[in-house]
Amino acid sequence: MGREAMKLVLDGVGHAFFGRAVFEDVDLSLAPGEIVALLGPSGCGKTTLLQIAAGLVDPLRGRVRRAYRRHAVVFQEPRLLPWMTTHDNIAYGLRAGGAGRPPADAIARRGREVGLLAHDLDKYPAELSGGMRQRAAVARALAVDPDVIFFDEPFTAVDVGLKRSLQDLVIAAAAREHFSALFVTHDLAEAVRIADRLAVLSEGHRGFVTERRIEGRPGERDDRFIFDLVEAWSRDPAFAELFDSEREGLS
Amino acid sequence: MKPLASFLAWTGWAGRYLWSAWAGAAGLFCLAAAWQAGHEIYGSFVLPSPWETVLAVVALVHEASFAQAAMETASRALAGFALAVLIGTITGIVAGYSFATMRLTRPIVTVILGVPPIAWIVLALIWFGSSGGSAVLTVVVAALPISFAGGLQGVATRDRALDIMARSFGAGPWMRFRTVTLPHLVSYLFPAWTTTAGSAWKITVMAELLSNTGGLGGDLATARALFDIPRVMALIVVTVVFALCTEYVLLDPIRDRLERWREAGVPWGVRR
Repeated sequence: MGREAMKLVLDGVGHAFFGRAVFEDVDLSLAPGEIVALLGPSGCGKTTLLQIAAGLVDPLRGRVRRAYRRHAVVFQEPRLLPWMTTHDNIAYGLRAGGAGRPPADAIARRGREVGLLAHDLDKYPAELSGGMRQRAAVARALAVDPDVIFFDEPFTAVDVGLKRSLQDLVIAAAAREHFSALFVTHDLAEAVRIADRLAVLSEGHRGFVTERRIEGRPGERDDRFIFDLVEAWSRDPAFAELFDSEREGLS
Repeated sequence: MKPLASFLAWTGWAGRYLWSAWAGAAGLFCLAAAWQAGHEIYGSFVLPSPWETVLAVVALVHEASFAQAAMETASRALAGFALAVLIGTITGIVAGYSFATMRLTRPIVTVILGVPPIAWIVLALIWFGSSGGSAVLTVVVAALPISFAGGLQGVATRDRALDIMARSFGAGPWMRFRTVTLPHLVSYLFPAWTTTAGSAWKITVMAELLSNTGGLGGDLATARALFDIPRVMALIVVTVVFALCTEYVLLDPIRDRLERWREAGVPWGVRR
């Protein structure tokens, strides 16, 4: 596919904090309906790259080209406004975009899609469990009807069973609404489950170590396939950094 | 269905708020008991009994000149309160957003805070003469730093993560201030405002007494000159009642309504 048809193109992007380079010369593009997982050892600048892509941080070098109307971000923490009910929190993205007060049944539908019941919507975030808060955050992102969603390690803080159902939720939403997504994670199995393509950012600020396309569509791959692929790739030298840095951290 | 439900919710809240007044009344009656004990030890001339004071208050309220004096003091206190809150809060918020403004204004506020209110009264008397302006100025200057500090702290401690979230959805500065910063700011501003309201009454009466500009402070000066101790006590009680009213009738219900979401976070069984 030509670069013109891409929803999002990062062109030679580089960034530094206080003169210390985080990464340099990164090229990344997002095709319509494509989910790209961005992996890397902790501290390699995954989140910074996502924030640059989402326009929250200006890159020091390079260009970001966006060819879509609207995007949404799902953060690592739910980041719900504690003084608004869940209903108003889900509607927040729409109101922030200048759409006025959205109809209540539209918000209720978004709530149902992520598994929130009608009486949950009247509660304040403090009254919800951690998993329900993250569900509300996903609903808030879906509610703006985005063309691109940026996920910044959204499911790291939830337990394994819940993580799986939240991943299924994202996969189902992507199949239904055809948005593109950049999904930052440090979990290889999560990336293989959810994404069409994955890119591994290196620790030594050299840009990407490798980019791989994953066979099949997200949601159609079975657990056996995911397990085998993760096993095979974790022995691959291109992925070594992902696991090595954890070992160094332990010693 | 919907209006009825919200009306019921409102009456429920109002009932709970009024009911909580019993606890406040209990505290006040404890104070009255201690006062009565003091009266029985030292006698009426030094400390009139609460009952004598109540009678003096009734007599005072029926005087023709009382309404005018109370109005004078109330308008000065409220003008001082409004100006102090307005100027203090706005400069505090600006200072919270802008680092340069904070560095510039903080020492100024410290200087204002360091000058004793009594010195301000003297200066105000020279500048404004024996008019209500001196009382208002003293209130503004004495009470302004509290609102300033509240606004500054509230904005400085706002949740940046929520701010970034709002920005990611394309919220403009005004929307972000209204939905992210302001609800957080309220919990810093209200304690500052209630303190300001209380000190506004005190300082107004003090300034009136010293500058002899009428109002309740002027009455207090006359009563002192005549050694009319029950009347002195009655004027004190009236001032305190005004201060209590501004806090519990004017400010507290608003805060209670705005901060309902905090109650939601309190687990069951620990409520109230």
